Amino acid sequence: MAKKTYDLLFKLLLIGDSGVGKTCVLFRFSDDAFNTTFISTIGIDFKIKTVELQGKKIKLQIWDTAGQERFHTITTSYYRGAMGIMLVYDITNAKSFENISKWLRNIDEHANEDVERMLLGNKCDMEDKRVVPKAKGEQIAREHGIRFFETSAKANINIEKAFLTLAEDILRKVHVSGHKF
Amino acid sequence: MLLFYIKKEHAEFISDIEAETVGTGIMGRMGNKGAVAIRFHFHNSDICVVNCHLAAHTEEYERRNQDFKDICSRLQFRQLDPTQPSLTIMKHDVILWIGDLNYRISDLDVDNVKDLISKKDFETLHNYDQLKRQIDEEAVFVGFEEGEINFQPTYKYDTGSDLWDTSEKCRVPAWCDRILWKGKNIKQKHYKSHMALKTSDHKPVSSLLVIGIKRVNEEAYKKTFEEIVRNIDKMENECIPSVTLSKREFHFKNAKFMQHQAETLSLFNDGQVPCQFEFIPKPNETTYCKPWLTANPPKGFIAQGGSVEIDLEVFVNRTTAPELNSGKQQIEDILVLHLQRGKDYFISVTGNYLPSCYGTSIRSLCQIREPIQDMPQDLTVPEMESCGEKILDIPKELWMMVDHLFRNAIKQEDIFQQPGLRSEFADIRDCLDTGMPDSLPGSNHSVAEALLLFLDALPEPVVPYSFYQQCLECCTNANQCVISMLPQCHQNVFNYIAAFLRELLKNSAQNRLDVHILSTIFASLILRSPTKQDLTEKRKTQEFFKHFLVHGSSQ
Repeated sequence: MAKKTYDLLFKLLLIGDSGVGKTCVLFRFSDDAFNTTFISTIGIDFKIKTVELQGKKIKLQIWDTAGQERFHTITTSYYRGAMGIMLVYDITNAKSFENISKWLRNIDEHANEDVERMLLGNKCDMEDKRVVPKAKGEQIAREHGIRFFETSAKANINIEKAFLTLAEDILRKVHVSGHKF
Repeated sequence: MLLFYIKKEHAEFISDIEAETVGTGIMGRMGNKGAVAIRFHFHNSDICVVNCHLAAHTEEYERRNQDFKDICSRLQFRQLDPTQPSLTIMKHDVILWIGDLNYRISDLDVDNVKDLISKKDFETLHNYDQLKRQIDEEAVFVGFEEGEINFQPTYKYDTGSDLWDTSEKCRVPAWCDRILWKGKNIKQKHYKSHMALKTSDHKPVSSLLVIGIKRVNEEAYKKTFEEIVRNIDKMENECIPSVTLSKREFHFKNAKFMQHQAETLSLFNDGQVPCQFEFIPKPNETTYCKPWLTANPPKGFIAQGGSVEIDLEVFVNRTTAPELNSGKQQIEDILVLHLQRGKDYFISVTGNYLPSCYGTSIRSLCQIREPIQDMPQDLTVPEMESCGEKILDIPKELWMMVDHLFRNAIKQEDIFQQPGLRSEFADIRDCLDTGMPDSLPGSNHSVAEALLLFLDALPEPVVPYSFYQQCLECCTNANQCVISMLPQCHQNVFNYIAAFLRELLKNSAQNRLDVHILSTIFASLILRSPTKQDLTEKRKTQEFFKHFLVHGSSQ
């Protein structure tokens, strides 16, 4: 018998300031590769990747958004429909961390109420340039009751783990609420 | 009836057992004919066993064929997963089909049949078997196999004996009871009848089959499956429509009233599939861009490797000019270019607009003594009031045009009847907006048209919208009172234009104008309807205005 290649489809969204590495995080996860040249995402891009969790094939459709401030009003319209949102900052860029609360407010205002959120402190391979202590990331995540990982798309640290954890959290929610597949 | 036994050592590999029945008599229910079937999953093979009893009587072989087809289509197993469609017999890897199929031996009389049986010439006899003939004609049991028959017909005996039917009917012996199979890797070890059993008018048949079963190496399967999924993902990612844009930011410098400015955006389809593009509205907006901007074409199709050129055009008309003049709006927009089933691209449009007397209100223009473009930017016009300067009676731009025409074109043939030149209009507009020359550039016709455009572009017409209805009501008996109620600057403009037009009419021998022509042209500009105007209304506005051309004003 012909089998479907997946059981569930999850839509995820990457948001955060420009230059924190959202596109690289996605590229590492989808293609297991890294590119050092910075090309600012001016628009909305997406990639898909199928993963297996608890015996279920889950197709992740991951949307990458433009981080530049002038596009914020437009990009917020893409929040709706996302089941999981990864909010990314750069541990070497204090401003990107300060903006986290603004991004969280954006999620509150524009995303689905039951959206699963996650905070990522990216570029954790650049320890010598770190300006945001890990504890501060952990603290703000705790305050908002969301998960937190420090990641590096370049050194491939915690990228897969972050995506799989987010997908797992969504899967758990889907089970609890008794969604039909 | 169908009894299904499993050896103990195989039990753990058997799953998804389902049993079903189907009747094939009249209405598909009555009678004793039909089938019972059982299906199960053994390792990685799906197996189905069917026992059936098909229609009787020698001549009814087509009825038997039909019964077989009915069983195949109507017998359906439930699936564990309720979202999956139910399973039919033919969907299985291995099918074993047994029973009293009831096909007879035909075209031979009973003596010949018995003679062949006694000689054990089953091969010759088999050629007269209806089932063999129907299978050869592919009329039934397509794809099924049967082993060689090396036993005598199993029907019909006198019950309790090995004697052929001795009843009145004296039926011709036949191989009614058969075992067939469908599937790969199936070998028959034996196929025989059991003469020793005498409880029925049939003799039972049995067969031992060795069936190859699929057994998946779970680890290799998982690895291969994952690899396939990865490849499918990769293909899907590569097949996401994609284009490259020649430019992401467009700057329109010094946009002016009624002046086209266009830039070209090239899209190149660098993806692996053809794509459909479209500019889509941003959240909470109904159009894909600001009203002064257009993209042409706004949607389309690009073949793989192909490209399309899109004109982005800025054009400020009388609808969009007022807010740009007052600084409430800027030349600033973001376009969202959407690819169907693909990415979205943001395109920034920026620029600056040079404010113009076109699209600025009479009231504001009366407050500006210097050319409008000499005004400091960010200073919204109404704030000028606080400057305490005496405001002008009428907009100086209006005066410049009317005065120019009064001095140069009062006897001009076909004035207000012939169109001006687009390029000359641009010069006149620039002249009005940047300085106060002694005379205006361009031909008289161009100045005349510039005047009409000026009136047409006023955000609030000379007779403000709120007075429109009142003017219509008194059109047959027009009097000064309505006009005297207008705001002072509007009143001034009205009287000024009416006086000028009366001057023109004094020279109608040369300029060939008459009251009718002028009221037709000017009424629709001075008395604009807040809504769509019908013909009667139009006539009333002309009637109203005509009055002022004929009788003049008392002031």
